[in-house]
Amino acid sequence: MSVTRREFLVAGAGAVVAAGSGCGPVKEGAVEARRWLGKPTVPPLVGALTPPSATELDEVSHVLNRLTFGARPGDHARVSAMGVEAFIEEQLAPKKLEDGMCERVIRHEFDSLADPEGALWPRKGEASDPLQVLFPAMKDKGARVGNLYEYKDKVLLDDLTRATVLRAVLSERQLYEVMVQFWTDHFNIDPSKAEAKWLKAADDRDVIRAHALGNFREMLRASAVSPAMLWYLDGRANRRVKPEDKPNENYARELLELHTLGVHGGYTQQDVMEVARCLTGWTVRDKKKFFKGRVEFRAWEHDNEAKRVLGVEIPAGLGARDLDRVLEIVVAHPSTAKHVAEKLCRRFIADDPPEAAVAVTAAAFERSGGDVPTTLRALFATEEFWKPEGRGGKFKRPFHFVVSALRATNAETDATKPLVDYLVRLGHAPFRYATPDGYPEAASHWQSSLLWRWNFASALAGNGIKGTRVEGEELRARLGGDEGLMATVLGRRAREAERGAYHESGSGLALMLASPAFQYS
Amino acid sequence: MAAPQAVISGNGDERRQLVVIFLRGAADGLALVPPVTDDHYYRARPRLGIAAKDAVKLDERFGLHPKLRLLEAAWREGELAIVHACGTEDQTRSHFEAQDLMEHGGIVAGGWLGRYLQTRPAAARGALACVAVGKALPECLLGAPTVTVMQSLEEFAIAGRTPAFGTQLEKLYAMQRGQLGAAARDTFAALVRIEAMRTTTYRPDNGATYGRDEFSNGLSQLARLIKADVGLEAASIDLPGWDSHFAQQGQVEGLAGRLAEGLAAFRKDLGTRMATTTVVVMTEFGRTVEENSAFGTDHGRGSAMFVLGGGVLGGRIHGEWRGLAPEGLERRGVLEGYGDLPVLNNYRNVLAPVLARQGAGFGAVEMASVFPAFEVKPMGIFG
Repeated sequence: MSVTRREFLVAGAGAVVAAGSGCGPVKEGAVEARRWLGKPTVPPLVGALTPPSATELDEVSHVLNRLTFGARPGDHARVSAMGVEAFIEEQLAPKKLEDGMCERVIRHEFDSLADPEGALWPRKGEASDPLQVLFPAMKDKGARVGNLYEYKDKVLLDDLTRATVLRAVLSERQLYEVMVQFWTDHFNIDPSKAEAKWLKAADDRDVIRAHALGNFREMLRASAVSPAMLWYLDGRANRRVKPEDKPNENYARELLELHTLGVHGGYTQQDVMEVARCLTGWTVRDKKKFFKGRVEFRAWEHDNEAKRVLGVEIPAGLGARDLDRVLEIVVAHPSTAKHVAEKLCRRFIADDPPEAAVAVTAAAFERSGGDVPTTLRALFATEEFWKPEGRGGKFKRPFHFVVSALRATNAETDATKPLVDYLVRLGHAPFRYATPDGYPEAASHWQSSLLWRWNFASALAGNGIKGTRVEGEELRARLGGDEGLMATVLGRRAREAERGAYHESGSGLALMLASPAFQYS
Repeated sequence: MAAPQAVISGNGDERRQLVVIFLRGAADGLALVPPVTDDHYYRARPRLGIAAKDAVKLDERFGLHPKLRLLEAAWREGELAIVHACGTEDQTRSHFEAQDLMEHGGIVAGGWLGRYLQTRPAAARGALACVAVGKALPECLLGAPTVTVMQSLEEFAIAGRTPAFGTQLEKLYAMQRGQLGAAARDTFAALVRIEAMRTTTYRPDNGATYGRDEFSNGLSQLARLIKADVGLEAASIDLPGWDSHFAQQGQVEGLAGRLAEGLAAFRKDLGTRMATTTVVVMTEFGRTVEENSAFGTDHGRGSAMFVLGGGVLGGRIHGEWRGLAPEGLERRGVLEGYGDLPVLNNYRNVLAPVLARQGAGFGAVEMASVFPAFEVKPMGIFG
């Protein structure tokens, strides 16, 4: 079946190239065809690639550092021309951004994933489960999820990992990808646990990617009933059949501690237990059953008596609606706005987030009912975000470092194992963090693996990573020589010591990527 | 047996090694060291309780999980001590908060092991004084004067095409102040030290056989470093995956087996070097006394700690124990139900004598800097 789909795609490509060739030079048509045939690809080095010319990080380099996974050659010139405010607005509205190349690569490479809109996903009614044909009323999201079980679990994890890297490298919707990573950590799921192996792919699509620049409340609701989350934090086993059954507290605790209020957000052990009671009965059908992966509420396993959560009474008899009451209560709690704002400020401003910026961001979150773009717009407007002393002061986490190196060098990559192995070594491969708190943000966690960063820089610049290629000479020439290359990588003109090391090292590009300055954003 | 070989550190005292093993996810102390003669135990765990006939008998009250059988020798030979009902005074049942609190040594910046290493004289702080096996720096080592994070010695080399790449890099990083500069300097120093060892294949001594899992592999790398006298003072290694909310029997068996196999091989491999080595096994908190509806256990309070090594008053369970009768348990909230195993023995009081044994000149002032705002009452774990 996958062959057919792939053949269809390749055959369809001809038509698109033919149609496209009328409005562009023949050469671009050829590049287009190459992409469709599935070769790893990069945007062509065309247009003005003017490198940054300031001696310190200017506003343009700063927003590129913080809102993206690193500037590509030419990004500085493009953002300078449009202005940083326009760039921020553009990034806050990702759907309006044309992202054809990235989408085509993802579609071509991955049968299993596709984009959130799901053009390649079986839509309602397309599921292969025979019962769904007999019972049309059962056609729902469970069906789409169920199809994931047709893949080998290793294939899905590989695909998810590769797609995550490729999107971070290639997508024009950079802030969206940054936020996808942010929420992936916030709602972390380690797919190595049980059936999350198959179901994390659906979580990535239906929870994280569907809401990354949307509304927090909706994302939280989606996460609470995400089949992968029900497996990962044992929600599926949280039930009360007999009065003496104890609820499983795992999800309830992380919901309060990590997803909403934060560890000092003002809840008690009693609240955890009460939330767990509210959520009894929600479960997911396992792979031995029909409609596997389907989330359902079993009233007979629900504790339907009255509860009290964070001081709010939840009357008896609400059944499945307990879940919505709980989410309303926790989202409206002021600690949630503060907790999310603090994490956002830590990601975008500094490891030790300035209180004033946190307050402004939290207020925007509360006012907008958890609207993520509104919240981020407020954060990006704070004085603290722009402070010149703060620029270049965030230590890149390894994923950011690796992707920014690929982007800065316009590297072509298929994001297969040889590349991903570097991320594993650096302790930051996507979807491999065991505990629900997600990969940490602060620099102190990441500074002891410098050797592997240096070795990655050296291997990348020396074309020593199979499936990844850098045209170093072409890049240097297109950027106007050594100075342009250094400035493009660093986001500012090189300092005297950097220039000296660049020339003495025998591998200038590798040295720039390994240099102290490039470890920061 | 030959007399233990004394290794003199830069400070002139005998060099000792401390290896800290963290069982992440809250290991079930009541499965690892079950109170096999306590009826309350089997009442609370009708399906999960470890039967006395299956357990390795330790004393009149306790057994050892059958998958920990490989540790029986150390127990019988008096090199393994256990403290039960052990943990942190904090009531948190959050993994992350409890791990942080325990690894920091309370609500305090930096890690307890990091601060301990800070109290050591400068001469004892070699580039390889401290090794964290794994991919990331554990919280207990935050603030250490030097830490090398690594998974295997074999891979510890700089991969530049020319030596000039390393030289120029070293020059640039030498100008870095703060954490990054220190981290880079440590890396360069460690590279030089390990270069020599990297070129030979490792054969464990005394016929020790390590398991093929990551944990055993990590312990074998540590044994190698210890025997090579590269100046190792402290090391950390994790064995994660203990969060057994659901169908815990198989999960605990697998992990306990790996723990015992790794530790037994490490002990055998080090041989007489165990006289100057202490291994501490700890976890953030224990699990509910009562099993849950899913054949698992939820977050509780007290768990067990293991101390293995030379000079240990082994073959006995140290510290206070009150049994599992409901009136001796800690209430979980206002709801009805079983309580938790209380923390009767603070983890710091176990670590304190370990540290006191490690470093010459480690006195009250040093102790207070490692465990501030806590009145340490060291337990009598060493003879």
